[in-house]
Amino acid sequence: MAACARRLAVSMTKYTSNHGIFRSMVPRAAGVGAFRTSSTTSQTDLHPTIRPVNAVERTTVSEYGQYVAECLPKYVQQVQVSAGNELEILIAPEGVIPVLTFLRDHINAQYTCITDLCGMDVPTREYRFEVIYNLLSVRYNTRIRVKTYTDELTPLDSACEVFQGANWYEREVWDMFGVYFSNHPDLRRILTDYGFEGHPFRKDFPLTGYVECRYDDEEKRVVMEPVELAQEFRKFDLSAPWEQFPQFRKALEKAEVDEETQPK
Amino acid sequence: MSSSRLVNLRTARQVKPMLSLDRAEARTRVINLYKAWYRQIPQIAIDYDLPKTQSECKKKLKEMFMKNKDVKDIRIIDALVIKGQMELKETVQVWKQKHGIMAFWAPTVEPKPKDFMGKFLDGHN
Amino acid sequence: MASALKKTTGLTGLKVCRNPHQILNILHTKILRCLQKMPQDAAYRKYTEQIVLERDAAVKAEASVPELEKRVGGGQAEELIQQAEHELMLARKMLEWKPWEPLVTDPPKNQWKWPIH
Repeated sequence: MAACARRLAVSMTKYTSNHGIFRSMVPRAAGVGAFRTSSTTSQTDLHPTIRPVNAVERTTVSEYGQYVAECLPKYVQQVQVSAGNELEILIAPEGVIPVLTFLRDHINAQYTCITDLCGMDVPTREYRFEVIYNLLSVRYNTRIRVKTYTDELTPLDSACEVFQGANWYEREVWDMFGVYFSNHPDLRRILTDYGFEGHPFRKDFPLTGYVECRYDDEEKRVVMEPVELAQEFRKFDLSAPWEQFPQFRKALEKAEVDEETQPK
Repeated sequence: MSSSRLVNLRTARQVKPMLSLDRAEARTRVINLYKAWYRQIPQIAIDYDLPKTQSECKKKLKEMFMKNKDVKDIRIIDALVIKGQMELKETVQVWKQKHGIMAFWAPTVEPKPKDFMGKFLDGHN
Repeated sequence: MASALKKTTGLTGLKVCRNPHQILNILHTKILRCLQKMPQDAAYRKYTEQIVLERDAAVKAEASVPELEKRVGGGQAEELIQQAEHELMLARKMLEWKPWEPLVTDPPKNQWKWPIH
């Protein structure tokens, strides 16, 4: 399905480039082709629904990222600013405590509040889990995001000694992803039921889970059994008809065109 | 060539230990966990009003541990020990319910057919 | 006379300080002494020294508390004390961590690549 859409896009752009007049006639809501044409015809007029670019904020934010990276070159691997001008510090897993303490205690940071801590699973990576810390500085009214990585068997230092509020968030990450936090005061399940098997937010966790509960009339009690389905799960193609990452389509298209042209 | 190099790389990779530094330490942890469960069995049987004798419980405990007897990686052993400790706490504090304990025996689960005809009639392959 | 004295900071758990200049002075010297032990070219030392020296100069120059608060621009004097305390704790920990050293581990290839394909 996704490949099909991409091919459609390729033919669309080819078509528009051959017939110059046709370009303006492509309606805006024409889906795949519309993005390309609207971006080529009118780059100056700002669409009211598009977030305006705040260049000043962007430079200050990236400068601050440079400042953090300069202060902690031992731990900071990369600094990036997202499209919405959110600062992201990508750190080595050894540096969780030093970086978070720096961000909390330094006079120019004062990120005293942990707003969120969560996990992310990308099974194809060498270290499949990302752990993400979102911090808020009430003094300077800014937010920062710290990211690090780990896998199923590599423990990460618990942030509880820096932020008390990280306690339950880390339990949540442990419960949902199975990331172990060393030196956590009370690491145990928080969302799933006692006796639940597996970590539900892992990408390889089946949609049905592993065990199910039901009332058994013979046993006169609730029983827990491995899930058994009468019919195999049907496979649905759930790729959305709209585009998630249009700005990355260019590279893909180019590769595809190259592939098409090469064998000839 | 590449496979042997890969193996070398994998063994050469420095990993952060989970709890134990060597096999002996991991083994001690496993045995300690086993002992802790073993000692709690009488109390668990009373707390949950289990329709099982103590020897049956002990047999089941041994079976659960022997299920993972072939695990060699120290970090995996540690991970299993951590989960076992959490489960022990849940059980001893009576956070679990009776069906959670009885699930170890799984009396209602019918064994899957092994022969061809049985599988065919069951609708699985 | 009594009305001139500050009654509250308006912040829970933060008590009014009667002699902020003195306390800030002590804390700043402590921070600077701790920073002396770090290598000359460490960015953390450079920037922190700059901030602390600036604040120290403000403490020495401004005799009245409101003027000091206005000049530093980091909140009330009590908050300035708290910030200095935190910075001191951080500087002491930084001596152990040595964050000015080169990167401890390089990320694996494609670890930070997004989207992944």
